[in-house]
Amino acid sequence: MRLLVIEDDATLRESLCRQLGDAGFGIEQAADGKEGLYFALEYPVDLAIVDLGLPEMSGIDVIKEVRAKGKTYPILILTARDRWQDKVDGLSAGADDYVVKPFHFEEVSARVNALLRRSGGWATSTLSAGPVALDTSRQELKVNDAAIELTSFEYRIIEHLMIRAGEVISKTELTDRLYDQDFERDSNVIEVFIGRLRKKMDPDNTLQPIETLRGRGYRFALERNQDT
Amino acid sequence: MSSLSARLLISVTLLLVFFFGVTIVVLDTAFREAGEQAQEDILDGMLMALIAEAEPNSRGELEMPLDLQEPRFGNLGSGLYGALFDNTESPVWTSRSSLGLNVPYGPSPDPGTNVFSRLRLEDGTPLMSLSLAVQWELNNGELKPYTFNVAQSLDSFNAQVASFRQQLFTWFAAIAVIMLSSISFVMRGLLKPLRQIESEISEVEEGRRQTLSDDFPTELTSVARNMNLLIGSERARSERYRNTLDNLAHSLKTPLAAIRTVLSEQQTSEMTERVETQIERMNDIVRYQLRKPATIHTETLGVAAVPVHHELTRLVDGLAKVYKEKNPDIELDVTEGIRFHGETGDFLEVAGNLLDNACKWSKQRVKLTIRPMEKGNIDSGGMILTVEDDGPGIPEQAADALLKRGMRLDESAPGHGIGLSVVKDIAASYGGDVRIAKSDLGGAAITVTIAPPQSAS
Repeated sequence: MRLLVIEDDATLRESLCRQLGDAGFGIEQAADGKEGLYFALEYPVDLAIVDLGLPEMSGIDVIKEVRAKGKTYPILILTARDRWQDKVDGLSAGADDYVVKPFHFEEVSARVNALLRRSGGWATSTLSAGPVALDTSRQELKVNDAAIELTSFEYRIIEHLMIRAGEVISKTELTDRLYDQDFERDSNVIEVFIGRLRKKMDPDNTLQPIETLRGRGYRFALERNQDT
Repeated sequence: MSSLSARLLISVTLLLVFFFGVTIVVLDTAFREAGEQAQEDILDGMLMALIAEAEPNSRGELEMPLDLQEPRFGNLGSGLYGALFDNTESPVWTSRSSLGLNVPYGPSPDPGTNVFSRLRLEDGTPLMSLSLAVQWELNNGELKPYTFNVAQSLDSFNAQVASFRQQLFTWFAAIAVIMLSSISFVMRGLLKPLRQIESEISEVEEGRRQTLSDDFPTELTSVARNMNLLIGSERARSERYRNTLDNLAHSLKTPLAAIRTVLSEQQTSEMTERVETQIERMNDIVRYQLRKPATIHTETLGVAAVPVHHELTRLVDGLAKVYKEKNPDIELDVTEGIRFHGETGDFLEVAGNLLDNACKWSKQRVKLTIRPMEKGNIDSGGMILTVEDDGPGIPEQAADALLKRGMRLDESAPGHGIGLSVVKDIAASYGGDVRIAKSDLGGAAITVTIAPPQSAS
């Protein structure tokens, strides 16, 4: 999952990005409203974190512009103005949730995870489909109640696929969303990781949770469970 | 006597009474004097005629013929009387008209002169009399004094004067009534812009209008313009004040957020915990102190009344996003057309804090009710806002503590109840209060009253 962080305070932005990166997200960052808007419109983004008090262009205007251009990904507001008028202005401009400064990092990461899940149509923090259950708050994958050990990269792939269960996700998109910055984009790496995931989740090849659609990409194929 | 038109009407009435009074006196006097002069001339003529008809007898003494040329001397009670006296008490001759009447005549003047005098008959009828004294030479060459007298009743003259006076009063009264009513009619027209500016100002005070209109007569345009400038600057001032506070809050909280985020990258230690506690304290101070002054409701001129329903819809839509997973039923029961007379921000702060708390604590149901303070009167500006939920509710002892909390931050536990104490401060600044009770839904019912604006007097 690739996040865009627009915040003008360098210390805050860098620390936030570092910790979100550690939590397994790909990160873009912008220090002012204009740059932020450019990234928000031009880069592949799954969720944007926007400070309301930005230089060049206010956060509210950035959000309005992003929504006007038809982008539907979730937006989380960081605001120092915790008057309800500002929160309501932000939410009605098109944001989905807010965090009031000074926040704890855990709060931001919990909201980000919840928003990402919701954007994929999941109501709870555990995504379950058939015998597969992914606990996004603990970053834990279970198949038939047995925990499966994953590397952080493997986790990011299965999370991305499961959040958007049923949708076809191209290799390019996976590469875009999962790699930080522009270092070597080798699509073979994705194939290797998918292969490993299949082996770990479905050693006897009966479940077939991840489908390959030739030339188009991958799809998490199991039906979502009703109560999630 | 505060009304301009009443003042003007009273002054005009006083002036009219004075000028018309003087005019009436002058006209009346002139008419009477002219009339009296005419009466004197008539009497003079009568006297001359009387003298002309006097004839000497054989002894040379004067006598009057039986029938005189002027018939009124011969008619009883005609009002014209004549008499001729010599130097004795009893008259030589009296006219037939004075038969049975004791007509008084003035004192006898010096020979060769005449004198007018005002007298009354025994029945009170006013008379004007003219007497002329002459020396008559008898046959023996002796001089004998005679006095010719004529008198005329003033009854009909006085009646004329009275009727003239009455007409004078009638006409002047009619003119005065016409003048006063036309003045008050003109005044209504003239004062209309003043009444308009007054009603527009009260509309601005009640928030039903943003600025005064600009179609006033020249004398009032500068008043209206200055008033608009005042309203504008007042509004700008309170907005600038709020922006300053917001910017201050922003510039204080961002570093706090940075410290906290950087801190969370460290291993938890006693040190990080202590710093964390201090950050929390600073945050509470910043939140409470920088938000509180924005709620000081200063009867700002030209604050538009907030259409409550519109703002609530935005707020509930926002909350629905934030509480998407819990998805509480938020029921709005708001009296149609009711408006909040104050800052939008203040209203949203009250409703936002209460609804947010209710959503947080509720199991499923949240209900917001807004009613006008006086039943059926949505324009008074007073309102009662109640937020209820089906959560665990607030115990009575805790309720008191919650409402007190935040009054002095250093006496309260950090991190709690700021929302509610902000609500309480806002309610207080609008002359209202906050009560906590138990809801029929099962949880807490928090009721905020907002008093009607003072200026709506």
